[in-house]
Parts: sequence; structure tokens; C-alpha cells
Amino acid sequence: MHRTVPSLPLAPSVKVKLINAGFQVASDLTDMRPLQLCKEAGISQEEAVEVLQMLRDDGQPHQQRAATESLTALDLLHQEQALGSIVTFCSALDDTLGGGVSMGKTTEICGAPGVGKTQLCMQLAVDVQIPVCFGGLGGKALYIDTEGSFLVQRVADMAEAVVQHCTLLAEDTEQKQALEELTVEKILSNLFLVRCHDYVELLAEVYLLPDFLSKHPEVRLIVIDSIAFPFRHDFEDLSQRTRLLNGLAQQLIQLATQHSIAVVLTNQMTTRVSNGQSKLVPALGESWGHAATQRLILRWEGLRRLASLYKSPSQMEATVQYQITVQGFRDASDEHRPTPDTSAVSSQLGNHSKRPRTEDLS
Amino acid sequence: MGSKKLRRTGVSADICERLKRHQVETCQDVLSVTPVELMRLAGLSYPAALDLLRLVSKACVPAVSTAWDLWRKKGELCFSTSLPALDRLLQGGLPHGALTEVTGPSGCGKTQLCIMLSVLATLPRTMGGLDSGVIYIDTESAFSAERLIEMAQARFPEFFSAKERLLEMASRVHLFRELTCQDVLNRLERLEEDIIACRAGLLILDSVASVVRKEFDTSLPGNLTYRSNLLGQEAAVLKYLSQEFCIPVVLTNQITTHVGEKVHCPQWNQADVPAEEDSGFVTAALGNTWSHSVNTRLIVQYEDTERRQIVIAKSPVAPFAVLSYTIQREGIRLEGNASPESVLNQGTDPGLQPIRVRTGFIYNLSQATPSTC
Repeated sequence: MHRTVPSLPLAPSVKVKLINAGFQVASDLTDMRPLQLCKEAGISQEEAVEVLQMLRDDGQPHQQRAATESLTALDLLHQEQALGSIVTFCSALDDTLGGGVSMGKTTEICGAPGVGKTQLCMQLAVDVQIPVCFGGLGGKALYIDTEGSFLVQRVADMAEAVVQHCTLLAEDTEQKQALEELTVEKILSNLFLVRCHDYVELLAEVYLLPDFLSKHPEVRLIVIDSIAFPFRHDFEDLSQRTRLLNGLAQQLIQLATQHSIAVVLTNQMTTRVSNGQSKLVPALGESWGHAATQRLILRWEGLRRLASLYKSPSQMEATVQYQITVQGFRDASDEHRPTPDTSAVSSQLGNHSKRPRTEDLS
Repeated sequence: MGSKKLRRTGVSADICERLKRHQVETCQDVLSVTPVELMRLAGLSYPAALDLLRLVSKACVPAVSTAWDLWRKKGELCFSTSLPALDRLLQGGLPHGALTEVTGPSGCGKTQLCIMLSVLATLPRTMGGLDSGVIYIDTESAFSAERLIEMAQARFPEFFSAKERLLEMASRVHLFRELTCQDVLNRLERLEEDIIACRAGLLILDSVASVVRKEFDTSLPGNLTYRSNLLGQEAAVLKYLSQEFCIPVVLTNQITTHVGEKVHCPQWNQADVPAEEDSGFVTAALGNTWSHSVNTRLIVQYEDTERRQIVIAKSPVAPFAVLSYTIQREGIRLEGNASPESVLNQGTDPGLQPIRVRTGFIYNLSQATPSTC
């Protein structure tokens, strides 16, 4: 109610006229009628109505609404436990992440070239479709590809491996029924694909994502692979790039929380030279480090591939080893898993909650 | 898409006028500003600015498809290299719509591979080719038409027994010689018309590194970022062309010496890596950012005086693998690769993969010299 007129989300010309007419604070305007405002400020009738409607939304009812909409941490805890997570099929990494890639958050995956970022993204796009009775989310995925690394043969292989995995696990009738519908064809049809060639197309796609999500409410995962490539070479004005990236990050966080979906972004690494030594750091600058809620860095160490969780509000920092096999993203183990011991493996897909709680909090 | 004028997107005329005064005329200009800036430029309220952004986005957003649509066009997704073991590993061949890089020391066979792929692309589909033209951008003047003819005749003797077929094949390979960075970039940006006119199904750029390395001295400040930007632009244009026309793009690269701590390399490479500690080692040129930009990286290197190896260092579909080959009259011939032990589930950073160079110059003079046709 004490909001000043210049801070209102109105067109600049209207604001200027209101200020010139002597209105400094929003409360000056509340008791006005449209015609009176129109004459005093010299704005058109439609503009006057727009101003008053906007103030009405901004005023007391909004505050009342705000009071009922605030959540307690207890509500949030219930919500977070009810949301699942997307397994990566590397159990060490899943444990580090607290069950898998979290829903409702943005996760950034940085890594050197060839280390497996696209493999992990493709694996997640398949894993999000695992039916609920197997412990998955049964959702669809949207894959925004800016680099051209999405090769459908590889996704088909991964889908085949997941179907086989579920076949080995199916025990009761519900699972067997779900398994009948789980085919490679269905998995591929539920994977939406958009190919963006530059940052303009990427920004356009993100602006339209709310419409896309309301049309396809079963989408539970959005992957942008990679967010770095279109932004790394087209900009001379780096501050403009930072502004656009921040806007993008904000929109993605909003989407993730409002629709309870997981947003996964891939970033590249760049060489930073300091004190004569060069090392690899995530690209897109320091400010981008604040954009994602969770940050996972994949790197090579000699012949091994390691994944480190570098930033997470709820999990501890840790480093695990993984490997890429014919079936996709897996644990690093030297022996092959033969016919899997169902109890050990089904725990991977069992109902993962962030902090397993046996007692009900109510 | 981004350069679409606002007038054609359904934005109202007076908003277009207001934006034009601030030099905002295309979709790209509108999307390059934040909503708050747009409020100021267009004189709109915040919700109206968001609506304008959504309207402009609808005009330039790419179409959504599904992975299943792609999978149904399976047969057209790869370009077979006619090397069976390599095709098997790459799950069909070189992918369409992606960049494949071939890098290695000089004289190892990169240009030979490019010439061989040119021949293959002109073959009819029944023989595994693309039945299309080839655009070959040559920056090192290394392309030899005689070698093209010789390779075609030696590799497919019955098919090319008729002279008209040879001439027709040669007429489908379009050669462009560009000698500076700016020329290459200009050529790439105008290449759409050439691709359509030549009905090209394969685009070869041999080599990316030579023009860039001779023009940019990376020890000077600012040059490194400028070079990275230029390479990024080239990569973006090439990816756009390969995606829109659904063709494979093959690039060649050179090698550089990486000074730094030795990277632990796979078992098979152990014997030849120099034993001294800080000596540095040879790896692919153009840096880490370029390694991100290419989708597939094939490294060619020397095994011994006669045999060479192709290493699949980076690929979205293939595991890390090593195949041996020699260069004969008919081009590349894979040698003795039946054993699957050379396929490892490991690998190392493709930007830091050590490459073996030629250590001796002993020629086997009894090998047949190339003959002209």
C-alpha cells in the first residue's frame, strides 16, 4: 500500500503522467474513479481502468491471498517426500543425490568433452518414463538439444536395456501389466525433442514452456543439452549475456517449482589460466554458478570417470565413479552384473525418499 | 528464424513502430532484451511485455517432434563409411546432422579418408552411398582429383569400369578453395544455396585448423577468445547446415603439443608415450572448447611404419575403440580387426588424448606408386 508509483508494472508513459499529476504513492490512487483519474492525469480511459484494476489486484485481497498461500516447512517436507526422483541407474550417484535427480529443482551437469553429459541426459530422459509400480515416475520428457549430440540409436539402446531390466524385476500382476505397455516404441514416443540452433530459438522455447507444460501435463523432466553452446560465441556484450542467462535461470526455476518437474541443464568447461597454470572450470562465468540449485561436475581422472556433487542444498558433497556401457549410464564395477539379484537391484528402483522416514509425521 | 521481421509476426503496427525507433526490428532483437527493458522500449506494462515476448517466441520457436519420429527414419540417419568394423561401432556410420572430426598428424590419412568418403557419397544407395553431390572445402590445397579417380577405380572396379561413370562421379564433387578464416566463414554462411544447387549429401571441410592457426597467434592477448568465438560461429553454422539438410559433416583438424602433466593413457598406448615427465605430448589442436563443439572425434595415428590406427575418441553412440588400417590404392583398408579386445569400455578426455606421431621415415619403396588413369 505504500508502494511508490514508479515501481508499479505499468507502461512508462502512463507512469510519467501519473507522477506529473502529483501521484507519488499507490495509496494516492486507490480511491479514484476512472473518469476522475483520466481528467487529472491526462491518460486515456482504458489506461485509467487498467491502472485501477492493477492496483486492486495489488492491494488487500492479494495480501490475504498471500497469507493463506504461505507454506510451513512441515507442508514442504510432506511435499518433498511425495515427489519422487529420477534414478540415474548408477546407484552410487543415486545415493549421493539422495535417490536420484530431484524433482522441483534445477540441476546443472558440467563436464569436459566426451565424459558422458549427453549420455546421462539421455539416460534420465528414459528413466523418467519407468512406470510408477516399478518405483519410477511414469512421466514424459522434453529434450531441448542445442548441440546435435542426441542420436536416437543410442536412446533406443538405453530404452531396450531399461525394458529388460524391468522385465527381470516384474513380480506382481500390476507390474506385469505395466510392463506390457512399456516398449521401446512407447518410450521413444514419449520423448519430445526440440532442436534449437541459436540462443534466440532457445529463449523462444523457454518463454513458451509454460504453454507446453499445460498442454502436456505428464512431462516431468526437461533437459537442455547444452545451455552453454549457444551462449558462448554469439555475444560481444557479456553483460547482456549475463542478463539473459539470469532471466533464463529464473524462468527455469519457476517452472521447476510450479509444475514440480526436474530441469536438467548441461554446461561445458572452459580453460582458465591463473598463475601460469590452466585449469578447467565450468563455462558461462561465475554468476551462472548461482543459477542452478544443484551442480554435478563430471570429469576424467586418467581412465576413470568421476562424478562430483558440488552444490546441493540438501546433500553432502561427494565423488563417485561411474561408467558408460552399452546399456547406458551405470555404476563402475569391474564384473558384469549377470542375472541380477532381484533384492539388491530392486532397492535401486524402490521407493526412494530423500530421508527415509518410517514414522508418519502428522 | 531469429531474423524474422516483427511486422510479419502479428505484432501490432504501432508497437512495431515504437520498437523500430530503438533499432529493434527482428525477433532476435526482441528476445535479446529482458522483459523490463522491453517495457521501456515498447512502452508497455509488464504483463503486456510478457505477452509480446510470447507472441514473438511463437514466431521463431522450432518445431517439437518426438524421438519416435526420428527413429522411424532410421535408414537415413547414417552415412556408411564402407569400413565394416567402423560402421558397426558407430551403429551405422557417420551420423547425419552432426559434426564428425578427423584429427591426427600429417600424412596419416585424413585427406585420404575425406577423398574416400567423397567417392562413397556419390555412389547409388544400393551400394551404400548417398547418391548425391559432395561439397569439399579445401583450405590446404591437398585435394587431388587424380587420387579421387584412382581410388574410385581401385575400390569399385566393376562399377567404375565405364568411363562415363567416373566422369559423372567426378562432376558431382564440388571443390571450393578458401585460404583465410574470413573466406571460410563467408563461404559457410552462403553455403545453403550451393548445397541445394549441387544437391549435396556430404559436406567436407579440410581442414578447420590450418587457416585458424596461421592467422591467430594465441600468445597475444585477446586472440584466444577471438579464435574461440570464430570457431564457435563456424561450428554453429555447420551444425545448422547439417541439421537442416540432414547431411553428415566431416572436418579435419591438426595436432598440437600439450605441455603439462602427462595424462594417464590407455594400456595399448603405454609403450610409445615418452618416459620423461614434463615433456608434454601431442594431442588434437584447437583447444578444449572445440572439443565440445564436435560431436564425434576420430583420431588417426601411427602404429608402426606401415600400419595406422583409427581411434574413436568421442562419440555419442560408440565406445572408445581402436582399429588398425593401412592406406592402399583403394583408400583406407582395415586390417585384422576381428578381435574385439581392442574395444574398451573406458577412454580418456578426447581433448587430451595422446596421439602417436611418425617417429621414423623409412619408406618401403617396393610399394606400388599411384598410377594415373
